Amino acid sequence: MRLGKGMRIAILLGGGFGSALLGLAVLVLVVPRVVAHYSWSVERLFRQAPAQPIAFSHKTHAGDAQIPCLFCHRGADKEEAATIPSLEQCMFCHRFIIGTTEAQQAEIRKVIEAFNNREAVQWVRVFRLPDHVRFVHEAHIRAGFTCAECHGAVETMTEMRQFHRSLKMGDCVGCHRQNNAPTDCAICHY
Amino acid sequence: MVVDMDRCTGCQACVVACQAENNIPINTETIFLQRRVIEWIWVERYWEGEYPHVRARYIPLLCQQCDNAPCEPVCPVYATYHNDQGLNVQVYNRCVGTRYCANNCPYHARFFNFWQPVWPETLRHHLNPDVTVRWRGIMEKCTFCIQRIRRVQREAARDGRTLQDGDITPACAQACPTDALVFGDILDPQSRVAQLAKNKRAYKVIEDLGTGPNVIYLKKVDPYAPAADHDHKH
Repeated sequence: MRLGKGMRIAILLGGGFGSALLGLAVLVLVVPRVVAHYSWSVERLFRQAPAQPIAFSHKTHAGDAQIPCLFCHRGADKEEAATIPSLEQCMFCHRFIIGTTEAQQAEIRKVIEAFNNREAVQWVRVFRLPDHVRFVHEAHIRAGFTCAECHGAVETMTEMRQFHRSLKMGDCVGCHRQNNAPTDCAICHY
Repeated sequence: MVVDMDRCTGCQACVVACQAENNIPINTETIFLQRRVIEWIWVERYWEGEYPHVRARYIPLLCQQCDNAPCEPVCPVYATYHNDQGLNVQVYNRCVGTRYCANNCPYHARFFNFWQPVWPETLRHHLNPDVTVRWRGIMEKCTFCIQRIRRVQREAARDGRTLQDGDITPACAQACPTDALVFGDILDPQSRVAQLAKNKRAYKVIEDLGTGPNVIYLKKVDPYAPAADHDHKH
C-alpha cells in the first residue's frame, strides 16, 4: 500500500500526539505570520474611508464642479505637503453657495459656523506615511505625475478613500525604479 | 565642512542650533550622569602641552563624514552607507541597534537612543517637521542637515538653476556668530571650502587612521602659546 505524504508524517509523529504537535506548530509558526502579513491590510480595510467631521464630497467639488485639485490643495506643486485648504478658502465659494438639498445645506452650515466661530475643522487624515518617510508632493508633480496616479479617481469619491496605492515601501521603490528615479535610501529617509 | 579654529570662540551656538534643527532630545542631568548624551555637534575640551606649559583648548567635533568610514562595514543591516554625494547616511528605519558602528567610530560621533525621547509638553510643537524624531533603540548622528540639502536641491531643480556655493547652510554653520564653520562642495575648486582647505593651517582629526575625514580644521594661531615641549627637554 502506498502511503500519502501526509499519512506518512502522521504515522511518523504517532497518531493523536502527532496531529496535536502539528496543530501547535501551525499555531506558533504560521498564524502570527499570516496575521502580521494581513494586519496592515485589515487595518486599511477599516480605516480607508474614515468619517469626517463635515461630509465633504470630492465628487461634488472635483467631479461635478470640476475644481482642479491644486485650487484647494495649494501646497501640492510648491512644497512637501499638499496641505488642506483653510476655512477662508472654503468661504470664497460658500459665502454664495449654500447648497440645494437639506443635507447639503446642513453640512455647509457647519463650514460657515466654524468659520464664524474661528474654529479649525478636525479633518481625519486618509493618506498617512510613517514619520521616517519624507514624501515631497512638489517633486512628484514637477516630474509630471498627476494626483490620480497615487490618489485614484478622487473625482468619483463621495467619501475620500485610500485604496489605490498600498503606500508600502515596495510600492514607492517599484515606481522609482520604473521611472529611473533615485533609489538612494536618503532620498526618502532622513 | 571647514572649521576655522582661529575664529571659533567655543560659544556653543552651533550645538544649540543643531539640537533645535534636528529634533535632538533634551539632555537632562540624569541623561548626563548616565553618559547617554546626544549631541550631533559638540565642543570637546582637551589639554595642549605639558605642565607647566599647559593650555586648555576646545574643538567643535561632529561626524567627520569619512570617505573610508569605519562605521559602515560593521553594520549588519546596511543601515549606514555612503551615498553618491559623499554623505555618510544613517537610515533610521533600517537600524536595528547593534551599536557596532558607534564602537567602531574613532570620533565618537554616533549616538544611541537608549531611551524613547520625550519633550516637555510646551515644546511639543517646536519639533522640526522636516526631520524624523528618532525612537528608542536606534543609532543617530550628524547628517550635515540633509533636510536642508534636500530642500535646496529641490528648490534649485524647481527654478531650473544649478547649485551655487553657499546655497546650502547647515544649522550649525548658520548659527555660528564668527563664521568659523563653512559648508560647501570640496570638489568644486572655486568654492569657499576648497579655498580654505588649501590653507597651510589645515589638518584633519586623527587623519593617520586613514578614515579620510571630510571635515577640515584650520589650526588655531596662538601668539602666546608656550614654546614647544621638546625645546624645554633639551
